[in-house]
Amino acid sequence: MSTLLPFHTSILNEIYDPDTSDLLVLARGLGLRRIICTLLKIFDSPQNLVLLVNATQEEETEIGEELGIMGCRKPGLRVVGYETGTSRDRQDLYKGGGLIAVTSRILVVDLLQNTIPTDMITGVMVMHAERVSPLHLVSFITRLYREKNTKGFLKAFSDQPEHITSGLSPLKNIMKELQLRRVWVYPRFHQEVKDTLERKRADVIELAQNLTDNMDDIHGAIIQCMTITLAELRRSKVELDLDSLNLPAAYFSSFNHIVRKQLDPIWHKVGPSTKALVRDLGVLRRLIGYLLVYDPLQFHSFCQSLVEAATSNNPESGPGKSQWMLTDAANIVFQAAKRRCFVDVPVQDQSDEEVIDLDDDDEAWDAVFELEGRPSEIRQSTDKNKGKTGKRPKWLPKEIHPVLEELPKWSLLAEILQEIEGEIVRMESTISSRPVEDPPGTNVTLVMCSSTATCTLLNDFLSSMDDKRPKGEWGRGMMLKKLRSWIWWEKRRKTMKEAQSAGGSGNGKKGVGGGEKLGKTVWRSGTPPANGNEGLSEAMKKKDWERAAQKASRRRVRGGAPTNNSARGSTLPRDTPVPGESTTEPGIDQVVLDDFFSTDNVELLSLNDDEMELNLVTDMSTLEFATEFDVHYGLLPPPQTVLVRAYSDDTDDRMLDEIKPRFIVMFEPCMEFVRRIEVYKCSNPGLPVRVYHMVYANSCEEHKYLAGIRREKDSFERLIKERGSMLLPIIEDQRTAENDAIIKTISSRLAGGRRELNVVPSQVIVDMREFRSTLPSLLHASHLLVIPATLTVGDYILTPEICVERKSLSDLVSSFNSGRLYTQCELMSVHYKIPVLLIEFDEDKAFSFEALLTKIISDLKSYAKTTNRYPPKKKTTGNPAEHDYTSPTIQSKLALLVLSFPRLRIIWSSSPYATADIFNDLKKDRAEPDPVKAVATGAEEDPEAGAGVNAAAEELLRSFPGITVKNVKHVMSKVQNVRELCEMDLVGVQGILGTEPGKACYDFLHRGEGAFRR
Amino acid sequence: MSSSSSSRPAPPVVIPGSGNNIILNPLQRGNPVLECVRNVGKEYGDIIADYQVGRTTGVLFLSLKYHRLHPEYIHTRIEKLAHHYTLRILLILSDISEHKDPIRELTKVCLTNNITVVVTFSFEEAGHYLTTFKQFEYKPPNMIKERVDKDYTSMLRTCLTSISKVNKTDVETLRNSFGSIANIAKASPEQLANLPGFGQVKVKNIKNAFEKPFRNHATNTLTFIASSQSQKSMVNEHHDDEIEQRDTNVEPSYKPIRDPSPVWDIELDL
Repeated sequence: MSTLLPFHTSILNEIYDPDTSDLLVLARGLGLRRIICTLLKIFDSPQNLVLLVNATQEEETEIGEELGIMGCRKPGLRVVGYETGTSRDRQDLYKGGGLIAVTSRILVVDLLQNTIPTDMITGVMVMHAERVSPLHLVSFITRLYREKNTKGFLKAFSDQPEHITSGLSPLKNIMKELQLRRVWVYPRFHQEVKDTLERKRADVIELAQNLTDNMDDIHGAIIQCMTITLAELRRSKVELDLDSLNLPAAYFSSFNHIVRKQLDPIWHKVGPSTKALVRDLGVLRRLIGYLLVYDPLQFHSFCQSLVEAATSNNPESGPGKSQWMLTDAANIVFQAAKRRCFVDVPVQDQSDEEVIDLDDDDEAWDAVFELEGRPSEIRQSTDKNKGKTGKRPKWLPKEIHPVLEELPKWSLLAEILQEIEGEIVRMESTISSRPVEDPPGTNVTLVMCSSTATCTLLNDFLSSMDDKRPKGEWGRGMMLKKLRSWIWWEKRRKTMKEAQSAGGSGNGKKGVGGGEKLGKTVWRSGTPPANGNEGLSEAMKKKDWERAAQKASRRRVRGGAPTNNSARGSTLPRDTPVPGESTTEPGIDQVVLDDFFSTDNVELLSLNDDEMELNLVTDMSTLEFATEFDVHYGLLPPPQTVLVRAYSDDTDDRMLDEIKPRFIVMFEPCMEFVRRIEVYKCSNPGLPVRVYHMVYANSCEEHKYLAGIRREKDSFERLIKERGSMLLPIIEDQRTAENDAIIKTISSRLAGGRRELNVVPSQVIVDMREFRSTLPSLLHASHLLVIPATLTVGDYILTPEICVERKSLSDLVSSFNSGRLYTQCELMSVHYKIPVLLIEFDEDKAFSFEALLTKIISDLKSYAKTTNRYPPKKKTTGNPAEHDYTSPTIQSKLALLVLSFPRLRIIWSSSPYATADIFNDLKKDRAEPDPVKAVATGAEEDPEAGAGVNAAAEELLRSFPGITVKNVKHVMSKVQNVRELCEMDLVGVQGILGTEPGKACYDFLHRGEGAFRR
Repeated sequence: MSSSSSSRPAPPVVIPGSGNNIILNPLQRGNPVLECVRNVGKEYGDIIADYQVGRTTGVLFLSLKYHRLHPEYIHTRIEKLAHHYTLRILLILSDISEHKDPIRELTKVCLTNNITVVVTFSFEEAGHYLTTFKQFEYKPPNMIKERVDKDYTSMLRTCLTSISKVNKTDVETLRNSFGSIANIAKASPEQLANLPGFGQVKVKNIKNAFEKPFRNHATNTLTFIASSQSQKSMVNEHHDDEIEQRDTNVEPSYKPIRDPSPVWDIELDL
């Protein structure tokens, strides 16, 4: 662990005191994790029980590892998630003390069930404090915690001031929910931070790369589309806060939230076209991001799928059609996207063909060599030199002329790497001439980019780079391979489509398969192949390589970066020109080759697409092998390596510390990472750091970067201002009020036998799954005792007679559509005297069904399309009152439900707050429910009643045909997870579900594979 | 409020007629809702409810605006309704902005009186409800039962979009690149992450749904309940330590056992 910088120390000095509760807001990239870990280390002892809440899973593991490095190993940070044992195990764990990271929902349940000794908690550390709102689970936790424990501390942390925006005084709201009164704000422009970081600066070279003409066209066109869409949005009659609707704001994903937040209360009055506009902005934002990141082919296929999605389901997208797609600008986007990949040309004449024959002959020979398990590097190099110098490969369809424009940053990166190499050589020579000890740092060149996908791409590019070609075509080899796989996928997609439209007429497909078979046989006898089958193996190989590379780039790198591309390149002799280190482990290489060729063997011997599946499997085996290779042999530190990684969170700090690079290339701008480098530079005095900062000039990338910095600064200023003028909330003791309530009930009923009833505080039994919603927290706030339980019937049990099923609006629609509501009501009616359906509206949305209308209509349309029972609607007008009710609306379904269950009561609640009030009302003067009975109700045949449930998996399982609410429990007890069900054969599935539903389910799960095979 | 009173009027006069009409209470004359009841016949009759939309279904209508002025009105109506009709519906027209309290109060009243509340937000909607109640009088509930007759594409869509963060475009992408659900289940996270439009969160959600076990024992209720009850009984025992010995594990009763009354000899009294 690196040293703490002066400002870290002063922050720690302010907040380490275990008697105070604080909120710390720190600028991103300044090392929040470092502070948290140091704090945790201070409190690490069996006498303390410190809980870390609201951290993501990744953060939990990362913090755990970092603590391990810092020396808290026994036992360090323990993580409590859904998989960790029973409540009894957890109880023991809590009693043992130490540092424990807990998932919020589990902690709530544990606090409610008294599994955790609340009064023994030394303190709670809350991550991501910016997300805390009155309805957030953390505020529930805080309340439960403070109820029994006023001495412990609560430290909250946040590094995202941009998100502290809710309401008029966002900071105060958060502090109120967390019941703390001290806040520390440390922006980048804090004097102390400035003093520390600006003393030693890294040597930064800023490079502004221009876009290519095509990209520029697309970029301009997308911006134009965004402007048009924004203008449309402004013009729509909705009252929006127009100031926030400007272009730079639209670059951020939070823009959608802002707009939605403003629109939510009137969402039902918003016409479908406006909604489409909001959605379109999101699509355009992603599109413009992809333009600068994806390679041309990927971008093109994304555009294709956009067009496809817009045209495929016509009736549905009728009113909500994307307007920008109809503009000229959109046409430019799509045309240019295609032009970057290839241009259509009329079929060429014979002369071309001959050349290709030669070329392909080579490839065929290569394949033969491969079959024999003999490396063919010589041939390969000739192949490379000859085949790729502008001749047209055979597999290209004749009507396509490849353009394959490359992203300009690629060659720029290659140049930078060359320069760095020169620099390193120069430095080494100067060092060897002078007898000085080695300067700190390693020669690893770190290339940082925005996503793992870009990582893969860059790795791919760098390993297959061919700098003998003119600049801008260095990655031609890679691009050709990509094109090839694209053509193959495209072909398959087409056959699949045909298969769909033909409705199972296997003839056409058989024909194709047969043709390929023929081609393959011919090929084996020495003639060039005439189809895309070679493309298949090539594509698979490429995918395989990508995967391996990605895996490698994800892996933790320690001590000298085994992710070295060139070393990896040796595993794939055909794909990569080996720059010179492949000889390090010849024996291993041989093994790798053998392994690889054996895979190839499978591919080549199997003569049709049937082997697609098998292929995937063998892929996995090679992949595993590759990682194993790294584990055993990858630790040899090569003299100079290039490491490509994606920006991540605070983990990057540790990575920098471990690798200690002298050269860092920032492939894309990133505000946090710049700060990380500053921190890294300052905590490693004497280490020369050179940073290359690449950015596309005049692109959205640049604007986004600058706007991001501005946004952060503004939000910090806002926070500081608010802190200055804030009225500190005084946290009143809620316990006294509650006690009063109990005393009151007791005093009025002192006589005789009734006393027993009154000692039990008012309680509600709540289904475990309901803790995702906000209602349990509010019920607790309204002084009801919340008892968590896994219920089979209903969500809330208020009294022995009243059982409530809660449905939010969207739930209501979906469970009406799936028919689940009917079954649930059936169950409730069987087991309880008063079954209740609670329809809960959102607080900040309108209290009306109209909000749902358009959504339902679109749902219905898809329904109508399939059954042809209901004529599709012509046009929905903005005014919901004019809506005619000929088709079954939510109201009709509700009416039918009411008619079917005369005993069913309905509670209409405008918000969770209102629900809490109504529940309190209904519970007055009624008996208390019995948890044991409630859990047992309806779960007679379920052996595991009461166990927790993976809701997402259950939801998925339920949506399969053949699986109903009635048998879902049975299935879950038979099968571990969905994947297991997918891997069962027909007989197995039928064994669980019965013959008919079993077949339906099996067919559903495996449909589409047939089309693949034939 | 109690239901039946002694001066109960004669049972409702059900007009013989065709039975296909909604029977209206003359009180409802002039209610704008009537204009919105379409596609179904209407006739006036002497009934207790406001609208009789089926042989055994009666509907009361209440506008919250009116309720605010005459809060006692609905109680008298409910009282009059007594035990008639199997399905009793209170149709509330929510036409004021402070609807929270009246609705809460009405919900409670209706729950005690076995009345189902239906809240509507416009006359149009209210009329639609009345129409539907009549039209669906004999309709089997197939429309809202679990259905299986959907086609593959839409089933696939509902199925995969049940995973959070997965949208329709992603469904297409998944289908194009993997073919079947079984193949998606087998796909590795890296394969998923390579697809266009798939970020880490989405991949994680998909993997969670497919590969995490259905059941976990992290939050088992029964053990807790058992333990909490033993705790409770422990607490109780502590309470009663002075009076009772700890030999018994059953829930102690608070009432001290009363001495049996002396035998009442009827002869003595005489």
